[in-house]
Amino acid sequence: MMPVLSLELILYTTALGLISIGLAGVVLSRHLFRMVLALVIAEAGANLMLVLAGYRWDAVAPILTTLGEHPPMVDPVPQAMVLTAIVIGVGIQALAVSILIRIRQRYGTLDRSQVAERMDAEIADSAGIPRDVSQESPLGERPLPSLPDSTVEIRGGHS
Amino acid sequence: MSDLIVLPLVLPLFGAFLLPIVMRTSISIGAWIGPAILAYGCWILGDQWMSGTALPFSLAIGGFAPPMGINLYIDSLALLFAFAVQLLGLLFWPFKIDQETARRQALMLLLVAASTGLALSGDLFNLYVFYELVAVATFGLIAASGSSAAYASTIRYLILSGIGSVLTLLGIALIYSQTGTLNLAHLAQLAPEQLNNKLGLTAFLTILIGVGVKAELFPVNTWAPEVYATAASRVSAFLAGLVSKLALLIILRLLVLIFHQPEAVQVMLVLGILGVITGELAAWRAKDVRRMLAFSSIGQLGMIFIALAIPEQGGLLAVLALTFHHLLIKSGLFMLADGWGGAIEKLRGAAKRSPLAAAIFVLFSLSLIGMPPLPGFWAKFTLITQLAAQTSPLYLIGLTVFLLATVIEAAYLFRLAALLYGPAAEDTPIDTIPKPAGLSLATASLFGIGLLAAALFIAPVGDLLNHVAGQAANADLYINTVLAGTGGSQ
Repeated sequence: MMPVLSLELILYTTALGLISIGLAGVVLSRHLFRMVLALVIAEAGANLMLVLAGYRWDAVAPILTTLGEHPPMVDPVPQAMVLTAIVIGVGIQALAVSILIRIRQRYGTLDRSQVAERMDAEIADSAGIPRDVSQESPLGERPLPSLPDSTVEIRGGHS
Repeated sequence: MSDLIVLPLVLPLFGAFLLPIVMRTSISIGAWIGPAILAYGCWILGDQWMSGTALPFSLAIGGFAPPMGINLYIDSLALLFAFAVQLLGLLFWPFKIDQETARRQALMLLLVAASTGLALSGDLFNLYVFYELVAVATFGLIAASGSSAAYASTIRYLILSGIGSVLTLLGIALIYSQTGTLNLAHLAQLAPEQLNNKLGLTAFLTILIGVGVKAELFPVNTWAPEVYATAASRVSAFLAGLVSKLALLIILRLLVLIFHQPEAVQVMLVLGILGVITGELAAWRAKDVRRMLAFSSIGQLGMIFIALAIPEQGGLLAVLALTFHHLLIKSGLFMLADGWGGAIEKLRGAAKRSPLAAAIFVLFSLSLIGMPPLPGFWAKFTLITQLAAQTSPLYLIGLTVFLLATVIEAAYLFRLAALLYGPAAEDTPIDTIPKPAGLSLATASLFGIGLLAAALFIAPVGDLLNHVAGQAANADLYINTVLAGTGGSQ
């Protein structure tokens, strides 16, 4: 039984790993399209988790009812649910990409902070209020100390 | 008779698919389909309530009895929410006729159908599907306002909401791997043995954060101010007023039926307190009306989460009172914001331009901060007495924050009221002061009348809510109702 158990362990780890990679990707990406892709990865992890929830290692597919004796069957419910979840996921991803196209057309960029910046500016503009905080003129002492050379690239100083 | 209850769920769904086709041939016929379906839904649900059918009852869908099949669970709480969905769908119906009418109305019907499903469904995965359907319809409706900022806020909301659904799905997978069922009643039966552990707690927390995205729960509510500032006022009103409450309903059901761990409640209490603090302070700083309302609604939902953390029927009563009070008020305020959307400063002297709108705003503000005899006072009074009765110090912190938040609320709402009734700025002629459009003002007045009616009949309303809370808090009743036909102990 040992190898089977470890396979199960690997699969569970994979599922949780995919979810972690996806969530980390959403948090760390600077490009909106990459954030959507990261969501796809996280969703794959969640779906794998759901399939694993009902899987039995000693059982057959639930459509093989013609076998002579009735062996134990894999629980079909999670698989049906995963199908639903995949369809929902694909629909939302398609919607996300279509919205991204619109944003790219209007703003000319898909950089997360630039889009947020322009959105804030537009909201403030349409409401007719001055913006008190923005990424171009943040609160605090000015001029800000310049970034150390070694970290300029990482923190996107020159983009 | 009781089978008719599926119609408010099925007809809008059917209508949503039919509408774009009918609109292609005749706009004048198509324009009537949506309101007719929603009015019929209101009638069915109202009739169900009035006819005195024994509540609660459970309706197996597809011919399989629970826990194998999927069921709808209809108690007075679910019925009340379903009725509110149909009614608000009708009140916030996008009547405007232009090229996008068909799409907008179809999305609205889809939103109503999915929201009704959220109120009625008795199956965890079904709830997830309806939740996603609500999300998709919402994205479409927000983006439909067409500005670039609306697209940007939609994609940001979509990504956050996507994280939420991944977490919810993870929670569902954890629950399924432990119990092998997703029927809420069956889960409630198995929970004391199988989910009263760390795994159950993890599952609850992932679902709490996942569903909390729509309920504007503290760390996952950054979308609210952006979306409410860019979407059409009617959409904002529906989202802030109703959809957030439906997400709360899911959490409420899970808490009552399945998760009884003290840690689960504590986490919710802490998140609620943080939500109140951040929401109210941000609202106090906000310089435009819409964002002020958005932040204030985050604060209000924080208060409801605090109330939800009291694990007794009294706490549930406070939840319901605050929920329905906020539903009336915030929907009405967002309708006023339809014309008053801009900077607060621009509204100087607006009371002269539109006295009715200013009067309604003051009425809503007074009720929101809890001025007796308006219903807001009773809602807040219930919560305060419940919180004060708890012994744990965390609840007392909640009480303190709650009272402080009321002061902050009063500060920003009265600041706006003072501007409304103050003199207009000298260089602005009175015609240029913004005023809410006729239809929005009429809708807001309806909510105002509803609020006054609730204030007049506060005793029967209170009794009704108490009855509803008692029914919703009774987990055994839920289990017995759903599993009655199947022996109840599988």
